[in-house]
Amino acid sequence: MQSPAIEYDYTVAKWFSYLAILFGILGMGVGVLIAFQLAFPDLNYIFGQYSLFSRLRPIHTNTVAFGFTLSGIFATWYYVGQRVLKVSMKESKFLMTVGKLHFWLYFIGALLAVASLLVRYTTSKEYAQFEWPFDIVVVIVWVLWGISIFGLIGIRREKSLYISLWYYIATFLGVAMLYLFNNMEVPTYLITGMGDPLHSVSMYSGSNDALVQWWYGHNAVAFVFTVPIIAMIYYYLPKESGQPVYSYKLSLLSFWGLMFVYLWAGGHHLIYSTVPDWMQTMGSIFSIILILPSWGSALNMLLTMKGEWGQLKENPLIKFMVLASTFYMLSTLEGPIQSIKSVNALAHFTDWIPGHVHDGTLGWVGFMIIAALMHMAPRFYKREIYSKKLLEAQFWLQTTGIVLYFSSMWIAGITQGMMWRAVDQYGNLAYSFIDTVTVLHPYYTLRAIGGLFYLVGLFMWAYNFFKTMTASRAIEREPQFASPMAA
Amino acid sequence: MFGWLERNPFFFAVGVFIVIAFAGLIEIVPDFAQASRPVAGTKPYSLLRLAGRQVYIKDSCNACHSQLIRPFKSETDRYGNYSLSGEYAYDRPFLWGSKRTGPDLHRVGNYRTSDWHANHMWDPTSVVPGSIMPAYKHMFTNVADLETAYAEALTVKKVFNVPYDKDIDGDGKVDVPLGSFEQAKKQALAEALKIAKETKREDLVKMVESGKIPEIVALIAYLNGLK
Amino acid sequence: MNWLSDNVNQLALLGAAAILVLTIGVSAKYFKQIKEGKSEGVLKDENWDGIGEYKNNSPIGWSLAFIGTIIWGVWYWFVGYPLNAFSQIGQYNEEVAAHTKMFEKKWANPTKEDLLGMGEGVYLVQCSPCHGIDATGIEGKAQDLTKRLLKESVLAVIEKGSAALGDKKMDGVGKFGYQMGEMPPGLVSGDDAKAVAEYVANGFKGNQKGAEVFANACASCHGPDGKGMNGMAPNLKEYDDTIIKHVLEHGKQGVIGTMPSFKGRLTAVQEKAVATYIRSLSEK
Ligand code: HEC
Ligand code: HEC
Ligand code: HEC
Ligand code: HEM
Ligand code: HEM
Ligand SMILES: [Ca+2]
Ligand SMILES: [Ca+2]
Ligand SMILES: [Cu+2]
Repeated sequence: MQSPAIEYDYTVAKWFSYLAILFGILGMGVGVLIAFQLAFPDLNYIFGQYSLFSRLRPIHTNTVAFGFTLSGIFATWYYVGQRVLKVSMKESKFLMTVGKLHFWLYFIGALLAVASLLVRYTTSKEYAQFEWPFDIVVVIVWVLWGISIFGLIGIRREKSLYISLWYYIATFLGVAMLYLFNNMEVPTYLITGMGDPLHSVSMYSGSNDALVQWWYGHNAVAFVFTVPIIAMIYYYLPKESGQPVYSYKLSLLSFWGLMFVYLWAGGHHLIYSTVPDWMQTMGSIFSIILILPSWGSALNMLLTMKGEWGQLKENPLIKFMVLASTFYMLSTLEGPIQSIKSVNALAHFTDWIPGHVHDGTLGWVGFMIIAALMHMAPRFYKREIYSKKLLEAQFWLQTTGIVLYFSSMWIAGITQGMMWRAVDQYGNLAYSFIDTVTVLHPYYTLRAIGGLFYLVGLFMWAYNFFKTMTASRAIEREPQFASPMAA
Repeated sequence: MFGWLERNPFFFAVGVFIVIAFAGLIEIVPDFAQASRPVAGTKPYSLLRLAGRQVYIKDSCNACHSQLIRPFKSETDRYGNYSLSGEYAYDRPFLWGSKRTGPDLHRVGNYRTSDWHANHMWDPTSVVPGSIMPAYKHMFTNVADLETAYAEALTVKKVFNVPYDKDIDGDGKVDVPLGSFEQAKKQALAEALKIAKETKREDLVKMVESGKIPEIVALIAYLNGLK
Repeated sequence: MNWLSDNVNQLALLGAAAILVLTIGVSAKYFKQIKEGKSEGVLKDENWDGIGEYKNNSPIGWSLAFIGTIIWGVWYWFVGYPLNAFSQIGQYNEEVAAHTKMFEKKWANPTKEDLLGMGEGVYLVQCSPCHGIDATGIEGKAQDLTKRLLKESVLAVIEKGSAALGDKKMDGVGKFGYQMGEMPPGLVSGDDAKAVAEYVANGFKGNQKGAEVFANACASCHGPDGKGMNGMAPNLKEYDDTIIKHVLEHGKQGVIGTMPSFKGRLTAVQEKAVATYIRSLSEK
């Protein structure tokens, strides 16, 4: 044991873990529903106008990104932060209060924001749909998190910052900057005194608005689905396996490389649009260069497991994390290739993009959060993990789900893209639009089934977590490395 | 140097911030100078069309439809001329979308008509067998929120100098009148009545005649104006 | 047309293959190290919550690939899509020019078969959303193109005239722009109107009274056979190229609904082709 004197306080970490499970199931439940709707449109009407695809899609994206993922990020921060800084939240009443406030404001804010989408309050910008009053709540929540991060760092015992902390700090700063600029909007009621008080209009127009939106949108992916997840893997994988990180140098190059290169790549969402050509070209170039800083982290993690085949075979948590790195490699190669102009000409607007999205989110983000929570559970409750078998089964079921998801969407997207471009022997368009929709039916069905597998896996996870909390065998001491689990 | 940064969190954070903020400046600032200039013929949205645009946003049509025709022959054949930056000058927010589950709509006003839209929005499969687009029946009874649309028009007029009540093309006539809310509403009702009649739906005509504009009529006005 | 002859398709497929091959290949290499390698290196002094760090160097392959992508970036910036010379609109113009060169010559003198095939293609993409795949007008939502005129359409024209159904701004000319200009409203009424409408809608058969009315009131413009006297007025008996050309140019607002104008959206050959196809539908 490192320093038996410190007793960490996991209250806030636990709360956020519960939320991650809750929002995970809700968000992906909606994901499965909308996936089935594209295959079987009658499902649009199960809750009248409230279940139309177009209303639910933003609810899906927001719930998984800002409900599931952020909760996972916060949960792991409140756990990892204390441990790598060697300081307990117990030591500061102030930070404890901030943490709890952070949780409650976030939870209530998230519920209200999702409800607002359901009743049609949206600004339409992807990953930034919320109307201005919710933006203000978001800002306050974010400031509270910042106080928690820098407060804890302020009272740290460990002089130097561990790699994970670099990434948490970057997440905090990145999202703060991006969110503020992309949500610049003028509330119309404040100017005119009439109409809906929640309504606002964007500060930017047309191509400029698009530019800011995708500078934001791309980097929201960076600082929500990538950077903080790297923070997680740098802690949980070495910790669970007991292996030292393979190379400090590689982590250094990857971190600063990622920070510098990521921000330039947003232009790949605007290829062949009306923003200037040079900006699009720049987006393509930096996307390709981005492969290496991204792969750097993934390789560093795979190499950390060098010679540890036994662990990979025996420990499902290691399986989740090693496969997460692999999916991270897949999506950070796929994205750059989709950024090449001629490839984007085909891929943009098609289902290949959601395919790419879900390689990353299901395989990388989802798997890391699942593993992190299951690693923490025995430490939270001083009990062993309830069932290794269940965890194993979950792993294989969800992996099958992901493979179904992305392989069907690759085929669907490439088919769709080629059909849109296809010409007949006379040089005229070969397919009417609806032809390109109806061919996708089998792929949409497969994707939905894949999603369903993943969702079932989440229920297995929730059950395992709950049983670990309530009914599993107690352990005396907190395990140093590998998490104890019952067969 | 990095070891030092890792021991000095404040400077570490400043370092990260500088590295990430840099690209944003270079990407965004230069374009702002030029891209928002309207091309000839681009006009602000009339009150009715703006209300329709708000309906389009509220029901997130952009989840499935793009409004950006890329310069490829396969797209210009299907949808018409490729899109130009200046055409979006009055689009707040932009509605390019990122997924084409349904077709692009940037110029749908050129090749679809009010009656077709009414049929299609009521039940897409009634005109396009096999369509997976949902039906939007609630738009046929919901009343469009003209006040909020007016508030938006007035806001952009005041804050961003959008040329309402101005002669834009220099022919001596005001191109897009806004005026007071009463004036604007009267004009919107007149436009709406014409569209309601084109849809051949008695219920819509009756609603407009009673002074209320159904959301669908505003939406169709918006779609018809996408050219 | 072969889908592999399109370079965008080629590159996309190549890209998809590259993603799979590289990811699987590289991760297999590292999985092998997990299986067979040995964890080693010099540990740094620091240690966080039991986690140590080796001072190992970055893998050589990784560093080389990093440099490789930067070189590729320079190439893309100055050669692939040269900063000062590339424009996507220029690229578009080239694409269109190449297409035009290839196809306009090829179909300069199309046979009837060619026109039918081409017309069907154009019809399915551009017209079927309104007229239906079988061209019967989707239960009255648009013109049934397998027949010429509906009784209701004829009646409405008789009552309201024909430019009235269209664009009033086009002063003096009918909606369609036929030489006879507009057709005045109320030329006949009551039973006469019904009779002639039935006669016309029935393809100029049956209804003796209708035939008489037509000969008296309508033939002066539409011709005794109803075929419009070589484009003086619309052909009411059957579709001909003139009707379709006119309706594509001007659109039509009738009792059934509104047909949009396709002005500028179809080339001359495409118009001719679609007209040939539509004529073929009622010729059977
Ligand atoms: C689930 C995805 C989806 C949503 C959400 C959706 N659409 Fe569609 N839309 C489609 C598909 C697929 C088509 C092509 C088939 C058809 O015409 O019905 C289409 C076609 C259209 C067309 C015809 C365009 C053309 O060129 O034929 C219009 C107009 C349209 N949609 C408007 C809307 C509006 C307005 C909304 C929102 C209120 C909306 N759509 C929401 C999927 C969707
Ligand atoms: C003065 C000449 C004239 C006479 C007489 C006349 N028409 Fe016409 N008709 C026209 C012209 C010109 C048009 C096309 C008008 C336009 O461009 O809209 C037309 C259009 C029509 C159309 C619409 C065709 C379509 O495809 O939409 C119908 C139906 C029609 N006429 C029927 C009749 C009948 C029945 C009579 C006799 C009762 C008649 N016309 C008498 C000149 C005439
Ligand atoms: C947005 C719907 C729509 C589209 C797209 C459309 N049409 Fe039509 N079309 C109509 C309607 C509605 C009518 C009936 C108008 C009336 O008489 O009330 C019509 C009428 C016609 C007529 C009969 C005109 C006459 O004078 O009798 C022809 C011919 C025709 N369309 C051809 C085409 C062709 C060719 C295309 C495609 C290139 C096409 N249409 C696309 C809606 C459409
Ligand atoms: C090197 C890293 C990456 C690059 C260069 C990249 C590139 C791209 C490109 C080119 C698109 C498609 C834009 C379009 O044509 O519409 C895209 C979309 C997307 N990517 Fe990535 N990607 C990367 C990594 C990731 C990862 C790791 C994730 C998630 C974990 C992710 C999530 C997304 C999402 C959510 C979208 C959809 C955005 C939208 O709403 O349109 N990406 N990415
Ligand atoms: C059970 C698992 C899931 C299923 C079945 C699912 C399904 C879907 C579907 C059907 C769409 C819409 C695609 C379209 O419009 O064509 C979508 C979009 C999206 N989902 Fe998921 N999803 C799941 C999990 C997740 C998770 C865990 C995340 C993030 C952590 C996520 C993030 C997104 C994003 C960012 C988009 C928008 C992509 C874009 O705009 O291109 N999803 N999802
Ligand atoms: Ca907002
Ligand atoms: Ca998107
Ligand atoms: Cu991106």
